[in-house]
Amino acid sequence: MWQKSKPYLLLLPATGAIVLLFFGGLFDGMLKSLGYFPAIAERQLHLTAYTELLSSDSFWESLSLTLRVAAISSLLAGIVGGMLAIALFMMNQSAKVKESRLLQRLFQLPLTIPHLVAGYVIVLLFMQSGLFSKFLATVGIIDQITDFPVLVNDPFGWGIILAYTWKEVPFVLLMVYPLLARIRDSWRDVSRVYGAGNLSFIREIALPIMMPSWIIAVFIVFVFTFSAFEIPFLLGVTYPSMLPVYSFQLYMSGTLADRPEALAVNIILALMTIVLGLIAYYFSKRWNVTKGWQ
Amino acid sequence: MRQVFTPLKNILSLLLVLFIAIPFIALMLSSVATGWQWPELLPESYSFRAWEYVLFSSSRTWQSIGTSLLIAVIVTVINVLLAVPAANALVRFQFKGKWFAEAILFAPIIIPPFVAVMGIHLTFLRLGLTETILGVVLAHLSPTLPYMVGAVMISYSTLSVDWENQARMLGAGPFVRFYYVVLPHLLPGIAAGASLSILISLSQYLITFIIGSGQVVTLPILLFPFISGGDPAVASAYSLLFAGMAILALLAMDAALKKYYQTKNPSVLKVKGVKR
Repeated sequence: MWQKSKPYLLLLPATGAIVLLFFGGLFDGMLKSLGYFPAIAERQLHLTAYTELLSSDSFWESLSLTLRVAAISSLLAGIVGGMLAIALFMMNQSAKVKESRLLQRLFQLPLTIPHLVAGYVIVLLFMQSGLFSKFLATVGIIDQITDFPVLVNDPFGWGIILAYTWKEVPFVLLMVYPLLARIRDSWRDVSRVYGAGNLSFIREIALPIMMPSWIIAVFIVFVFTFSAFEIPFLLGVTYPSMLPVYSFQLYMSGTLADRPEALAVNIILALMTIVLGLIAYYFSKRWNVTKGWQ
Repeated sequence: MRQVFTPLKNILSLLLVLFIAIPFIALMLSSVATGWQWPELLPESYSFRAWEYVLFSSSRTWQSIGTSLLIAVIVTVINVLLAVPAANALVRFQFKGKWFAEAILFAPIIIPPFVAVMGIHLTFLRLGLTETILGVVLAHLSPTLPYMVGAVMISYSTLSVDWENQARMLGAGPFVRFYYVVLPHLLPGIAAGASLSILISLSQYLITFIIGSGQVVTLPILLFPFISGGDPAVASAYSLLFAGMAILALLAMDAALKKYYQTKNPSVLKVKGVKR
């Protein structure tokens, strides 16, 4: 009896905390999104918040902005991170192991930087009077502040994309580099015997090895960007805003009537991340990403 | 081969400058600049006015750092206590519903935790947990606990039951076994989990804002008005301080772990060395 119930007892505190604080919160929010507010004697469940939300333009614009920003920044982070991983790997091959390890650690630095700071760095560098604009003016490419494109607090979301790319490149690197590091030196020698140069070695051996976990890494970055708050709050515009910011604006707008709508945005957001998460989980199990190739 | 790798190294160095050095240089210059007009690449004059304000004249800085660290440490201690038994169950036992327990524990990684926090806000308000450190600590648990569980699980998966059985044969009770056999093996995992937990807790803005309602002032709460359109020098100084606090917390954790192995358990270091 004891042996049988032991794992459940061991799991009880942790799962209890998550069920109570996390799923309890989700459920609480879902009830309130359906108009259940016992405090003001509202006990009738209805879908008003959802129908109103789905028929408003601001929700759809918010959703399309969110998808666009998440897609572009995850792809950019994936491309830069993937190339960086290959470059570091090739350098590692040239026997400068120590140097490449130091570089790898330095490139990991943005991972530890809080989101708000990452957002502010983008403001300093990319606003119209920012450092890059100053640089372009000094070398004579632009003449006026207004010649520099609006990249911060712009409706397209470039500032958010830049911030997320900067923050997530190290994450992609962290996910794919360990796989490349397992390629043995002898493989490279063998490939050279068969006449493979650097490029064909990358194309035929390095890329196929890192592909599955690269795709999963890009996908995770996509989901993270999808549910991001701090960076779009700092670098976005008030309208259209990304879904989490949109929900926050509705929640803080002051009127109690907007709260069910804010919570409805949250529930939709949660459902989308669950679906995306399940897809990522399915493929990572199928491709054995965590264990890697044998 | 050398001619291939020299351009590669140049590209990497260029990327390093672009990605890592320029952002930090920009923050540093901006924090000591006075009157940095547009086409000038460097500030006209420098002063430590912003740093003086941040570090000395505003007592709120140190209070907010204290609050941030206090919350992060409490959250991390609770996480360790919750995660160690859970990881033990998930790694060492086969039982019905295991996938379900894993799904519950790892859900907050994918589903954004602020969704749950906004949902629970009114309930916390009724229970008197808003505007309190305890409320913020409870709100920080779900974004951090999954990472702690994951890190400790990795440690458990490399610990053979044989070690404990051997200790049992030598007459060690469950607590002695845990303290002398299991815990030293788990420590690197716990330290890795604690680093993540501290880092995530320190950088929370939205969750702290909703539950703390502006009354629990952590560093990100104090910093936000400055970086969204305040004095750029002060904003830059605060940003550097904030990033520095996160990095320092990680380094301290790393150093503490190294020290533990040197003073308490020199043999572990050797074993580790052999493996590599």
